[in-house]
Amino acid sequence: MESKVIVITSGKGGVGKTTTTANIGTALAMMGKKVVLLDTDIGLRNLDVVMGLENRIVFDIVDVVNNNCKLQQALTKDKRYEGLYLLPAAQTKEKTAVSPHQMKNLINELKKEFEFILVDCPAGIEQGFRNAIAGADEAVVVATPEISSVRDADRIIGLLEASGFREPKLIINRLRSKMAKRGDMMDIDDILDILSIELLGVVPEDEYIVVSTNRGEPAVTDTVSKAGAAYRRVARRITGQDVEIYTGEETSSLVNRFMKMVKLAR
Amino acid sequence: MATISALKKKELYIDLRKYASFADIKNGLTEKLTNISTKRGGSQVTIDIGEKKVTTKQIREIEDILLDYGLYLKELRAIGPPALANEEEIEATVFEEMPDYEDTILIRKSLRSGQKILADGNVVILGDINPGAEIVAGGNILVMGCLRGVAHAGVFGDEEAIIAAYRLIPTQIRIASHITRPPDGETIVVKTPELARIRAGKVIIEKLKI
Repeated sequence: MESKVIVITSGKGGVGKTTTTANIGTALAMMGKKVVLLDTDIGLRNLDVVMGLENRIVFDIVDVVNNNCKLQQALTKDKRYEGLYLLPAAQTKEKTAVSPHQMKNLINELKKEFEFILVDCPAGIEQGFRNAIAGADEAVVVATPEISSVRDADRIIGLLEASGFREPKLIINRLRSKMAKRGDMMDIDDILDILSIELLGVVPEDEYIVVSTNRGEPAVTDTVSKAGAAYRRVARRITGQDVEIYTGEETSSLVNRFMKMVKLAR
Repeated sequence: MATISALKKKELYIDLRKYASFADIKNGLTEKLTNISTKRGGSQVTIDIGEKKVTTKQIREIEDILLDYGLYLKELRAIGPPALANEEEIEATVFEEMPDYEDTILIRKSLRSGQKILADGNVVILGDINPGAEIVAGGNILVMGCLRGVAHAGVFGDEEAIIAAYRLIPTQIRIASHITRPPDGETIVVKTPELARIRAGKVIIEKLKI
């Protein structure tokens, strides 16, 4: 089985790495893929919360690399989808508790069982980042349409390229198409102009993300969330399907208007 | 009228003694220069403004006007600032010590934030210099893409060094010991290649004429 190891990174914090990891992972599992989400943000773990699996954690990634438990014991099974697992980060340790070499070995173990290994990278460019990219073959960079985020994404792409990632791909998160159209926010072209890498997807700003994070239910499981729909498209593109990129244009189709009338659409 | 007389071939003498204020001197000079044949380009000019005091800044302004007509200031006969002679001496020695930048390196990629290139000689980049990236060269810098980051040409003190870019939108430009940045609150969109260099002691940006 050929497995894909994808690291989801951004440099800057708070742009939606964890949300993106949770949603793409869940969407892939919804498509029947065997997926494991790997939280490498040791000391500041969040992915378990976003997935709603916090109370099921017994062992974590540091336990696995220190042989305190077997890999199978630390893999937390998702409550909704068959084939979706989470390998949580430790909350009481620090980033240095794991080395890039250990991470590589761990991922090689996971490759035997899973089709998709999504690595949630911590913010920053220090050891946490080096751990996260150690075993990955592909990289997805998340950026929001803000100068600071794009600047950090640019730095990260430079570091990824220096580490041998040939073509990192970009997800633009939290785009407000109306603001971009008015020129009050960077638009897709402005960002691509600077970063000049392939666009994997565009996720619109969506209040439902806050709700879904608090509930521990990824937005892709919701049928009307716009961000959820965008993440489902991203997941399909990752599996190699030719899906058009959502560009932030409001669809005012008859169905959409009808949905709004019956208050289904947000 | 002010008079212009040719001292030697490729040397000009401009008499501006009759003007009282510096503004008048500049106007008189400009008026004279418009009448000069373009064949005179490259000439050394001696300007006489008589018994008047001038500052270094004013001398530079005069040099600037002359340069617009392709002329160079050889001598300004006036009561100059005492530092002038000294300053010229220093510049002369600096230029003599300048090494020849025959080495040119070619970089066939874009520089991203956090990446830095250091070179003794000239640098040509077939790509962009993104914000947060830096390029430092002993000689000239030519960016075939968009220069958005920081570029420092003539880092060893060569004031003749230039920075040219297909699109010049830098965070900061440095040439020799001069540092400059775009004005605050203004975004000037220029859709042509541009060139930065030192003219009369200031970094100026001009359209790249090809």
